[in-house]
Amino acid sequence: MPMPAANAETVGWWEAAREHRLVVQRCTVCGRTRHPPGPICPGCRSTAAEWDELAGSGVVYTYTVVRQAFLPALADRLPYVVAAVELDGAGGARMVSNVVDVDPGDVSIGLRVELVWEDMGPELALPRFRPAPTAPGPTGAGR
Amino acid sequence: MSVDPHRGTTDRRRRAVIAGVATSDYPVVPDLSEHAVHGQAADRALADAGLTLADVDGYASAGFFPMYAAGVCEYLGLHPTYFDETNAGGASFEVLVEHAAYAVEAGAAEVVLVTYGSVQLSQMGRTLGTGAPSRGGGALAPGPAIHDALWGNTLVGNYALAARRHMHEFGTTPEQLAAVAVTMRQHAASNPQAQKRDPITVDDVVSSRLVADPLHKLDCCVISDGGAACVVTTAERAADLRKHPVHILGAAHATTHQMNLSAMPDLTVTGAAQCGPLAFARAGITPADVDVAQLYDSFTITVVLTVEDLGFCAKGEGGAFVADGGLGLGGRLPTNTDGGGLSACHPGMRGMFLIHEAVRQLRGEAGATQVPGARVAVAHGTGGMLSASATLVLGRDAP
Repeated sequence: MPMPAANAETVGWWEAAREHRLVVQRCTVCGRTRHPPGPICPGCRSTAAEWDELAGSGVVYTYTVVRQAFLPALADRLPYVVAAVELDGAGGARMVSNVVDVDPGDVSIGLRVELVWEDMGPELALPRFRPAPTAPGPTGAGR
Repeated sequence: MSVDPHRGTTDRRRRAVIAGVATSDYPVVPDLSEHAVHGQAADRALADAGLTLADVDGYASAGFFPMYAAGVCEYLGLHPTYFDETNAGGASFEVLVEHAAYAVEAGAAEVVLVTYGSVQLSQMGRTLGTGAPSRGGGALAPGPAIHDALWGNTLVGNYALAARRHMHEFGTTPEQLAAVAVTMRQHAASNPQAQKRDPITVDDVVSSRLVADPLHKLDCCVISDGGAACVVTTAERAADLRKHPVHILGAAHATTHQMNLSAMPDLTVTGAAQCGPLAFARAGITPADVDVAQLYDSFTITVVLTVEDLGFCAKGEGGAFVADGGLGLGGRLPTNTDGGGLSACHPGMRGMFLIHEAVRQLRGEAGATQVPGARVAVAHGTGGMLSASATLVLGRDAP
């Protein structure tokens, strides 16, 4: 698995991930979130930003089932689901990740998902998602 | 909508035209280097215009390493005083020709040669089409692309994410997407150079191997070698040249994000929704005035999004538009009359081929797929992961 080359604006994201914390970058001036991380707020041009830790729940905004991989390290995972996940509490920010622990045929847009971490080695952990447990019925607390 | 304040006031004698076009040999040229493909296209486009390299004082191209234009100039023996190597992926050549038009209209150059060359198929093999956004072998660069490449997203995967969202929001079907590929193949049958010429059906497309759901193998462009070139100059300079000049009526380009769809505001709306209306306004036309279109068709979904964003139909109606024969000869918008990237050739950044075919149409040279009496053509490039869009409006007659 190739290692990501981090830079000043992304290293905080990768370090949080290594500690199994999913974060999104939030502008401390106007509050806008952005992903992937970047040096300047696209909304107000401020360079001030902080990392908001997220609960890790979200909903599938769109997805694909990749059946022909590019990275050789992923060939033995085929077919796998790549999804854009709209993260709860992230101000509309979406993240491209995977939906795992699921038959690809059972993935759909709108599917609720929860975070699951995979350690790729001592230096790299990747956040992925799996279907969230079905919400309890009317008598339950809901999600 | 702002209209370019300079276009209307440009000295009519200096209004930009395309005086010559050509392709290199394609779709497979194992005996040519990338530079040799440029050279072949350049020689042929200059001959088409009735010019020689000695007449050229400007040069433009796009490629995948720095100082790219200078490298081709060295090979060609050109020492231009205007050059440009703007890279917007598949939209590059529409942008470069727009820039060249401004250059000749401003008097910064008299004759700009724009060339494209690639030996992608022979050099890199057939795996590129599923390539990760990040280029270069081992280390993944720290740009935004890494934030999806590590999760195994691919080039096709990005377009598949957009296609799936379009299907969800508008009810677009795989069969409608397939209609794009079927029409392109019909056009390719009349192009003796096309890489794929055997007729295909909607069923062939949707039963071909899935590469990244919902995109099948036949929803994806071919992978080819080849190049093309054009010569941009002024109406005055072109007046006594060999071929009827094609007028650059209007142009514009736009970008929504770089390489990661996480940052694309709406996966069903490309930058064409910005640059299309702007280019049409600059040209003084509406979509209804367009007789023939050459639309970047990296994937079938690319065309569906583009016909919507350029205003040939409403957002969400692109699936029905293409499935009703809208892109065919005699349809509402005859498109990619050479067979497009889906069937004729796709050497990586195909935008110059779009311009080449648009010019052929406006000169009445398109043979069996000629749109009778074509007066206005659009060439529209789409680059990256739906990242960059560029529209050129071309006319048979002076504005």
